[in-house]
Order: sequence, then C-alpha cells, then structure tokens
Amino acid sequence: MSRKLLSFILILVLALGMVGISNAQDEEPIKVGAIFDLSGPTGDVGSPYAEGVIAYVDWRNENGGINGRPIELISQDYAYSVETAENLYTQFVEEGAVVFLGWGTGDSEALRTRIAEDEVPFISASYSANLNDPMGDAPYNFLIATTYGDQMTIMMTHMLQEWEAAGNAAEDMKVAVFHHDSPFGTSPLPDAEAFAESNGVEVLAVPMPRGATDYTAELQQADDFGVTHIIVQNVSSPAALLAANALDFFGDPEFYDFGCLNWCADELFVTLAGDAAEGALGVIPFTPTTVEVDGQEAPRDYLGGQEELEAASLHFTQGWTAMSVMAEAIARTLDNEMELTGPNIRATLESMEGYETGGILAPVTFTPEDHRSTRASRVYSVDDGVWVEASDLIDLRAMDGDM
Amino acid sequence: MPSQSGIYHEDYASDMQLRPTTMQRIRQIAIVAAVLLMPFILGSNELRIVNQVLIAAVGAVGLNILTGYTGQISLGQGAFLAIGAYGCGLMMAFFNVPWPIALLLGASITAIIGGFFGLPSLRLKGLYLAVATLSAQVIVEWVIKRWDPIDGELDGRTTDALNIPSNLLVNWQWVDANRWLATVGIVILIGAVLWVTWRLQSNFQRDRFMAYRYLLYVVVGLIVVFLSGLIVILQTPMLSLQDVFTEDWRLNGNEYAFYCFAMPVTILVIMAATNLFRTHIGRAFIAIRDQDIAAEVMGVNIFRYKVLSFMVSSFIVGLAGGMLALHSTAISFERFTIEVSIEYLAMIIIGGLGSVSGSVYGAAFIVILPELLRTLGRTIAGTDPASLSQFNRILPFAQQGVFGAAILITLIVESGGIRKIWQNTKDYFRLWPFEY
Repeated sequence: MSRKLLSFILILVLALGMVGISNAQDEEPIKVGAIFDLSGPTGDVGSPYAEGVIAYVDWRNENGGINGRPIELISQDYAYSVETAENLYTQFVEEGAVVFLGWGTGDSEALRTRIAEDEVPFISASYSANLNDPMGDAPYNFLIATTYGDQMTIMMTHMLQEWEAAGNAAEDMKVAVFHHDSPFGTSPLPDAEAFAESNGVEVLAVPMPRGATDYTAELQQADDFGVTHIIVQNVSSPAALLAANALDFFGDPEFYDFGCLNWCADELFVTLAGDAAEGALGVIPFTPTTVEVDGQEAPRDYLGGQEELEAASLHFTQGWTAMSVMAEAIARTLDNEMELTGPNIRATLESMEGYETGGILAPVTFTPEDHRSTRASRVYSVDDGVWVEASDLIDLRAMDGDM
Repeated sequence: MPSQSGIYHEDYASDMQLRPTTMQRIRQIAIVAAVLLMPFILGSNELRIVNQVLIAAVGAVGLNILTGYTGQISLGQGAFLAIGAYGCGLMMAFFNVPWPIALLLGASITAIIGGFFGLPSLRLKGLYLAVATLSAQVIVEWVIKRWDPIDGELDGRTTDALNIPSNLLVNWQWVDANRWLATVGIVILIGAVLWVTWRLQSNFQRDRFMAYRYLLYVVVGLIVVFLSGLIVILQTPMLSLQDVFTEDWRLNGNEYAFYCFAMPVTILVIMAATNLFRTHIGRAFIAIRDQDIAAEVMGVNIFRYKVLSFMVSSFIVGLAGGMLALHSTAISFERFTIEVSIEYLAMIIIGGLGSVSGSVYGAAFIVILPELLRTLGRTIAGTDPASLSQFNRILPFAQQGVFGAAILITLIVESGGIRKIWQNTKDYFRLWPFEY
C-alpha cells in the first residue's frame, strides 16, 4: 500500500472519528433517573404516573429532545420499598443521572440527605412538607404541587365555609382524618390539628391498616367521635373502599361530608366507589382530565384523543407535568449556556417564577428559600361520576400574606 | 461438630479444630482474601449490596439461633431489628452518643426486650409461640408509629424519618489529609493486632487455642498485609486514597467505610455463633429443640435457656438493626414491618435451619437475587420509552414470580436449604467415583 493512500485513509478515519465525537457530544443523552411504584401498595396510582413520565420523555424526544439532546430515562419499579429505592437511586446516580424523579414519602425522606450530598435535583411525587427544607436538610428536593399539609388546610377551609354557610357552628364540626399508615399518611396531620386549634374544630386521626378489606371498625370509631366530615389521605383503592363502607355504615350520604386529598381524588376512585363517590370532595392540584385546560393538549394528542386521556387518568398528566417541569429546568440551564450539573439545574429551578404548565398546575414558582411551587389549589367534587370545580382557587400564600 | 467419616484425629487439638480439613482451610484463606479485596474491585453500588448482605447475614444468624437451633419460631424479627435500629439511631442523632457505644446499647436494649417477649415460650410452643411473638411485632410497630418521643418531635426536630448523621465510621478525607498521623495510627493498630495474637498464643490453653490456630494465622497475616498496603499508599505522595477507591469518592467512601466496620462485626458474630454451639449453652439450646421433655429430664432448665436463647438472638438481631441504622441515612418504621420478619424466616429456611453458614447463604440469596432480577429486567426493558411502558406492565410482576419460583425450586431440590446443597456437592466430589 502506498504511503499516500495510507495517509489518506488515516485522515479519513480521523475525520470520521472527529465527526462521530462531535455528533455524540451534540446528541449526548440527558440522563434522568426515576423510581416508580408499579407493583407495590401504591401501584394503582403509581402505574399511570409512570406512564405519564415515560410518555412525556417519548413525546419530547420525538419533538427533538431538549435543545437537540434526547432524554434517557433510567427507571425501575421499586414496589414502595425504602431499601430498594436507596439501591436504585445509588445505581442510577452512578450511571450518570443528573436529575431524579422520586415517588413515596418514606423513601424521599430517607434519601434527602444523600440527594444533598450527591447534588441531584429531585422531584418527588410526595408532597410532604418535610421535604421542603431548602436551607437545611433538603436543599435539592423540589415540591411541584401543594403540600399535603396545605391540601389539608385548603380542604378544611372549604369544608368549614360550606358548613358555616349551611348555618352550623364551627364547634360542631368534627373531622375524622383517615390516613395511610405511613409517613405519607401522617404527613398532613399536624396541619389538620393546627387548623382545628385556630378554628375551634375537632379532629380525630384514624389510621387505615394496610391491606384491610373492611373499614367498619374504623368508621365505628369515627361515629363514636361524632364525625361530620371525613378526610382521606390515602391512595384511590382503599379510599374507594372506605367511601363504600361509609355509605353502608351511615346509610345516608347527607349525614357526612367525604373529602380526598390529591392521591385518592381521581378517576379510579370514582370508578371503584361508584355511587358512594357521588358528592365527594377532592383537593386536586393537578387539573382533572375532565376539566379542559390548554396543558392537556399535548398529552391528549400523544394518546390519541380525549377518551384515552380520561382513561389514562389525571395521574398520567401529573407524571407528564412533573417531568415537564424538570425538562424545562434542564432546557433553561442549557439555554443559559451553563454546564448541566446538579447545582446549576437547582439554581435554574430556584429562579423559576410563574412558569405556566398550561393550567394543569397553578403557576410554578421556586425560590432559594421556598421549594414549594405553589400553596394554592382548587377543590373539586364528584358530580354524576365526573370531577367538577367546586371552589375557586384557594391560595394559602395570599391568605397567610407571605410572598 | 461431627466430623465426616474418613477423617481421623490424632490428638485433642485437631479434634477441636473449627476447620478440620485442608480444603476448608484453603476456602478460609480464599474468603479472607476476597473480603479484603472486595472493596477495591467492586463499584459502590455492588459494595452497597454486599453491605446489605452483611447486615442481613447478622440478622439471619441471630434468628437462626432462636428458630433454627432452639426451635422457637419467631415472627418478631422486624420488631427486634427496629428496636436495635431506633435504639442506636436515637442515641446517635439526639444524644450524640459515639456510634460503637450506641450500637452496643441498642443491641443490649433489644436483648432485654427480646427476653421479655420470650417469656410466653414457657407455656407456648410451635405455632402458638409464633403468634405470641407476632405480638412483639405489632406492639413495637405501634409504639414506633404513635409514641411521640420516637415518632414525632424531639428537641423540636421531627423524627418521622429519623436522620442518622453520616460519615461517622471512618473519615477518609481526614485520613487522606493527615497521612503521617494516619500512618502512626495504622502502625499502632498493627502492633495491637500482633500483640493480641501473641497473648492469645502464650496464654490460652494449648488445646483450646489450637482450634483457631490456622484461622488466626491466616486472618492476622492478611490483616497485617492489608494494613501495610494502606501505609504504602499513604506514604506514596503520588497516590491518594481516592485513586484507590474506584469511581465516585463521595458514594464509594461511605460504603467503603461501612464495609470496614460491618465485615469484622459480621465475622465476629459468625464466629461467636459457631462457637456458641460448642459450649454447654448451645448444646442446651439444641437439646430443647430436639426434645424439650428429654432435655428437662437431663437437667436442662428449659425456661432459663429458652429466655436466654431469646436474649442472645435478640442481641445479635439488635446489632443488625443498629448496623442498618448506621448504613442508612434515615430510618422509618416502614423498614421493619411484618414482611421483614417473614423475609428473615425465608432467609434461614432457604439457607438452612440450624446452621450458621446457612444463614449467611440465605441472606445472600434473598438480598442478591432480587437485585440481579431487577438488573436483568432493566436490561430487557432498556430505556426506549415505547418498550419501557410495555415492559413495565409485566416485568415487575415477572420478577416477583421468578423470585418466588427460585425459592420454591431451591426448597424442592433440597429441603435442607443451600447449606445442604453445598454439603451434597462437596460430598459428591469427596466420594467420587463412589456413590457413598
């Protein structure tokens, strides 16, 4: 082989290699870690949430990714086990995940100090107020929806308004909070007690045993207390069972008011509880699929129609939105020509002000002092098997006069 | 410990040896070498799983003393782990107790509470006792969830998920920064190890000591080599400890520090448990398991030894709980549910009831297999969104199915568990070409 030919080939190979490398750098995927509960106790709502996250990644990649770079989702089912969550988190961060989507309260709280050490921005599907500690233990946790505590306050505010409008005294309002027996379930209890204290309402916390097939004993306990309002902090399946049991137990739906915080106020609850769901209230920070807003357009087109979107449930849009907020932060970081590192993405998230998710969430605002995107939500109610708006936006930030 | 036929002992010393055959000694050396090399070969994620195996192994050894050796079925394992973990964790997080003291205090508290829950064993046997120990599980879980000092507020800080101060075990950054001081420390450590070995050799009765001689020489030798290696690294300016640990310093440093603490503890527990059944206490336990009436006739105080078994077992389980607290950044009651109790029972049944090594095999099986299946599942599903959403509907359930099937097959093949399978394999080669 002549020397000329050899050098030509060499140059060609090098040039191709260079092109290959520069291409690879342009299109180097952005790795996003995620854990989902598909097979565990919260799998009923975890599966559509996971679908939503995956669908958003697929949709975004089809539309050119983030600034030309595709998203690579490293994800796995963790069956609601804290230990598995820790293992998967370590594994995914080691594999290069720059941001992370979490799920449960117990595991998100267990991971928060590690998240801080590893500097990985973390959006959990848990809205426990314990995760909002940007200046202290949880500098990398972001809560994209109203915290459970705030949801509880919003629900009780709404219930008290209605109660007093009907001519009843606050002292006679007795709220039984039925909750999942876990950090997730107990998270809003302090706020319920605080609200009760300042408004003269009485509160009773009733844990719902895991895997129970009947809640009559728990309802008996609430009845002895003289319950007028039931608020549930649990996922849809047990909440629906409770609603059905309550209808059997009290006989008359006029006898008590039934309310769900966000993880049981959904389509699945209505399907499972049937007639017992009628009139139930729900604090839903993520607009239900049956209430039309702009933000549903993209997921609706992706799934192929309104019917499919309703079947996918609001947890699908919830997962979609959670991922979209994270993607927006990544895009803004790249737009500002900053390197894609945890601290940079965190800074971008903290500079987010009034980011619109097309009406699915209230405008998202994070600051270095406060990682709660919003403290507002509407209350919805079930009317003829469909969630409809039952109140205006109740904004605790405005009520407390902060910000 | 009965020897196999064909192995003859010529003096008492060799009769009392813990590892009588050459093959066992070779295996011992291989294990010690693996133990010392593991952190340098494995990445932080694998090391993390090894650490979990170590914790589970300690817990399983504890449970096996009670269930496998003394025959008292316990469903309170999760509760005893919780007492150890919270005992250790609360002391560290709120009262700044140094971790070794917190760990031992936590284990001691567990031993006392475990002994208390062992009291019903005087009148109850078998399944009835299992239900009585279930009460421990329910009561302890309830206390953790509802009792304010444990789950609620303490010093104005929430303990819903109890945060454990990290980086307490070995501060590698400090070691790296103070190389000369660290070297002096290691030299003192080597000196201490050699001194203890020498004292053991000269002070112990010869026949007692002989039981450990080979093991001791090997372990001491390897530890000295290992520590000398550390000195070489520390005294070579070009090398830093960070180069030696693979990949991410932050991730790996913590796991490595935990490993350095957990491995010796596990070895100590294994050796203590193995030796326990060479003493009259251990033999009393076994006698109670095999035939409690016969044991009583022979003069074994059944009540005393049953409660003692509960206490010894709970102490070791409490130790595992404390290790769990040290390993995690936060603990909550969700880690100590009834499922955990059942999981530990599964470990000792799969590994081999009434066997210390079986407990370790079982722990490794139950911890590693789901991890392997998960990795396999992830490889199959890939990261492509379309295939991901397809596989997500099947794989998590398939993994659980395969896990269940693996347990079933292991037990059908050999009901004596993994230990028995290993024994059969060894026998096959030892007797080959004969059947028996």
